[in-house]
Amino acid sequence: MRALPHLKQFTEVAEQEIMHSGHVACPGCGAAIAMRLALKTLGRRTIIVFPACCWAVIDGPFPYSACSVPVFQVAFETASISAGAIRAGLDITGKKDINVVAWAGDGGTFDIGFGQLSACAERNDNIIYVCYDNEAYMNTGIQRSSATPWGSWTTTTPGTDFKKERKKNLLEIMAAHRIPYAATTTVAYPDDLIRKFRKAMSIDGFKLIHIFSPCPPGHKALEKDSILESRYAVESRVFPLYEVEHGTHYKLSMDPPQRPVRDYLALQGRFKHLTDEQRDFIQKSTDEEWARLMHFMKVSEAVE
Amino acid sequence: MSQKPIIYKSWRELPLMTASMGDTTVNKTGSWRNVEPHHVEQVAPCSLRCPAGNDVVGFVTLAAAGKLEEAWHLLAETTPFPGTCGRVCPHPCETECNRDHLGGAINIHSVERYIADYFMDKPPEQKPGTFSGKHVAVIGSGPAGLSCAYHLKRFGHAATVFEAHSKAGGMLRVGIPDYRLPPEVLDAEIRRIIDLGVEIITGSRVGKDVSFDQLVHKFDAVFAAVGFTNSRPLGAEGDDGDDVVPGIEVLRKINLGMDDGVGNKPLVVGGGNTAMDVARSLLRKGKDVSVIYRRTRYEMPAIAEEIDELLAEGIEITFLATPVEVLRENGKMTGVKCIRMKLGEPDASGRRRPVPIEGSEYVIEADCVITAIGETTDLEFLPDDIRAKTSWNIPADELGRTAFDKLYAGGDVADGAGTVTAAIGYGRRAAIAIDAAFRGKPVADNAAMSPSLRERTGYAIPFEEINTAYFEDLPRSEPGSLKVSERIKTLDEVHQGFSEADLEKEAKRCFSCGTCPACDNCYIFCPDAAISKVKDDKNKLYLVDIEYCKGCGICAAECPRGCIVMKAVR
Ligand SMILES: Cc1cc2nc3c(=O)[nH]c(=O)nc-3n(C[C@H](O)[C@H](O)[C@H](O)COP(=O)(O)OP(=O)(O)OC[C@H]3O[C@@H](n4cnc5c(N)ncnc54)[C@H](O)[C@@H]3O)c2cc1C
Ligand SMILES: Cc1ncc(C[n+]2csc(CCOP(=O)(O)OP(=O)(O)O)c2C)c(N)n1
Ligand SMILES: [Mg+2]
Repeated sequence: MRALPHLKQFTEVAEQEIMHSGHVACPGCGAAIAMRLALKTLGRRTIIVFPACCWAVIDGPFPYSACSVPVFQVAFETASISAGAIRAGLDITGKKDINVVAWAGDGGTFDIGFGQLSACAERNDNIIYVCYDNEAYMNTGIQRSSATPWGSWTTTTPGTDFKKERKKNLLEIMAAHRIPYAATTTVAYPDDLIRKFRKAMSIDGFKLIHIFSPCPPGHKALEKDSILESRYAVESRVFPLYEVEHGTHYKLSMDPPQRPVRDYLALQGRFKHLTDEQRDFIQKSTDEEWARLMHFMKVSEAVE
Repeated sequence: MSQKPIIYKSWRELPLMTASMGDTTVNKTGSWRNVEPHHVEQVAPCSLRCPAGNDVVGFVTLAAAGKLEEAWHLLAETTPFPGTCGRVCPHPCETECNRDHLGGAINIHSVERYIADYFMDKPPEQKPGTFSGKHVAVIGSGPAGLSCAYHLKRFGHAATVFEAHSKAGGMLRVGIPDYRLPPEVLDAEIRRIIDLGVEIITGSRVGKDVSFDQLVHKFDAVFAAVGFTNSRPLGAEGDDGDDVVPGIEVLRKINLGMDDGVGNKPLVVGGGNTAMDVARSLLRKGKDVSVIYRRTRYEMPAIAEEIDELLAEGIEITFLATPVEVLRENGKMTGVKCIRMKLGEPDASGRRRPVPIEGSEYVIEADCVITAIGETTDLEFLPDDIRAKTSWNIPADELGRTAFDKLYAGGDVADGAGTVTAAIGYGRRAAIAIDAAFRGKPVADNAAMSPSLRERTGYAIPFEEINTAYFEDLPRSEPGSLKVSERIKTLDEVHQGFSEADLEKEAKRCFSCGTCPACDNCYIFCPDAAISKVKDDKNKLYLVDIEYCKGCGICAAECPRGCIVMKAVR
């Protein structure tokens, strides 16, 4: 109506509101935004599997659910195989047009559900596996996971014992499984997120979408800054947005002007103890990771 | 501590599997909130700063969307002179523009000019308001008088303008030179006002051809907008010869196509618009002209761009000096004795007062002196009783209301603001006040604002409220202009307007501060699905569902242009 086309930032987002208000995510939760946009794209013919994670709680207390699609709550380590099993059941009954989505946190993906994830990917089960990554076990009070980045404070890496191990590279691991589709995305870029879900829906086999999802209480950041943090993660190259097809074809989704990692760190209290040298170290390792990613891109281009 | 008893059930009493029976909308998470978002449109700093009250964001964004006719009509709500202002207004809107921090202020005046020029020959149809039976006399056909008459007509009142000169337009006609404001542009805009039904009687000086009392008796109200017509005398020895001429006199002659009547080596005295314009006009007439100003460039009251252009055209300004005596031999001017000045304490205007340096007199060669050290009002036309109660001006409030029965005043004669836009705005506010008086209504507090902005509550979005993630760092566009070597030979317009491509590019750079274009960011990013789009209400675009909003503030943070404000919950 009043919209001036040139002032529109994002393409049309589906009107259907499948995720309801009244869920119990904290104010400013990135994972809630991710779910809302994902469900708008996936549509009503979708089944979701939640292992133990924030979203298992966000969805609401029994007998209520925030997602007006069938939701299964399963044991912590079983998101992928439960989804795979549901798919097998649907296949037997001849139902082909349903999206089966495993929706797990980083703890459930990088750590506890890791074995099953690998098995499912190896079998190429026809599901969309979503890891919304808030970089710690947030639901139980911010414990470190193997997705927690170097330098971060958590309740299990307090004070000077901040995390000294690097974040696992999930996409590289999944690429090594040669699954048909793996992608990173984040909430600050709805167009990117929606496009990647659409693409995953169109592919047969195992798809993985890794969503960087800011968590204000866990990152000790302002509630209003979740989108900003997500944007800075991409601009600073801490969390580059890209896709990997068949484990070998890397494609960068966007390459905005580089922002210093410091800007990203400054938004979050979980990094506030870091010295200048430590911040420089994060900048250096971010640049190295980026260079490595660029190398993959180059190799992919050469193959094509 | 008492423990709840454990109730044992058989497996038969349990459901096969626990299944949800309802959705979470039963859970009113709004109770978590201590701040809440309000979707409010606010007035952008540009619009707020426009003395004419133009809805700047409104017309710029309409132009960006290619809706030129709508943009024209929006401008018509506040001003009948977009083509004129697009050329001569010193554009305070651009000074305030938030885009200044990201690629340069929007070239607002060129956008306004484009819209006006696009419809110059064939303006869209405009209808006067239904006739109220009231008739207003307007004295002076400058921008203040014509703006007032135009708006009165729009409000349904008859208006007759009395103009002493043979042509209408005030200083737009006889002051500002053709190379800055081509007469065709002024003609077209005045034609539009006449076509709306305003009557202009030229060659009729109030106080001479018709008396002020006659007007007061015959009309329901009188609006005096007589501007500044008297030139201040030079105040140097020998300044009473006819080789010492007021700058506005010279400009009037040049503007009306008459002989300028001055010598070949004029010395222009002054640092305002008149000085710049008369010097540049005389340069175009092939004269060896120079300027002398008693303070420094920093204190010059002229529009900065005009000073730059004068210097670019090769005219010299002698700073910190002033004439003390006109030297003549056999009745012919040979030169002007000047004295050097230095800056002392600040005066009433806040500028540092120039003080003569004793013994520093020297002579500048010249065969005539053009005075441009300021203009004042001529209030001779007023009857003695009113005259006695006025000073240099006719005191009036912001709405042009004076202490005298039926008399309203505005433009330079009331506030001496000295800009076209201020005069246009004053005329419009007076029209609003006259209309309200006729109808026995009070004048709303924000009457000065464009009707399109009156519903708005907040004002002047600061740059900090703009989310620059949503805007590209694109440079400001400037339209072309005549080369110096060409422009000094003719009275042709110096600056060109935008091309269609430039217009689009420039208008699209506008942040649209405070005006919601329904970009959907607030709707898209709400983690609680608590913001919905409103479909059937023209004035409401989004609805915040207060029952569920947790007050995270993402909508406000991600609004590109400050249309959502967070307020504490009581
Ligand atoms: C040389 C020059 C250059 C300027 N350049 C700019 C510029 O670039 N930008 C800008 O914004 N401003 C500029 N200004 C200032 C601007 O022109 C004035 O501020 C503006 O015109 C004031 O409008 P007004 O309607 O109050 O009065 P005016 O424009 O002065 O109009 C007053 C009218 O009233 C008529 N009048 C006076 N007495 C009587 C009477 N008794 N009976 C009938 N009619 C009468 C006069 O003939 C005149 O036509 C410039 C001024 C001058 C002199
Ligand atoms: C086997 C098992 N171990 C531990 C838990 C307790 N638990 C529930 S949720 C959770 C944290 C999940 O973290 P993550 O997967 O990162 O999701 P987040 O809460 O951060 O969204 C833990 C440890 C459990 N439910 N099951
Ligand atoms: Mg987690």
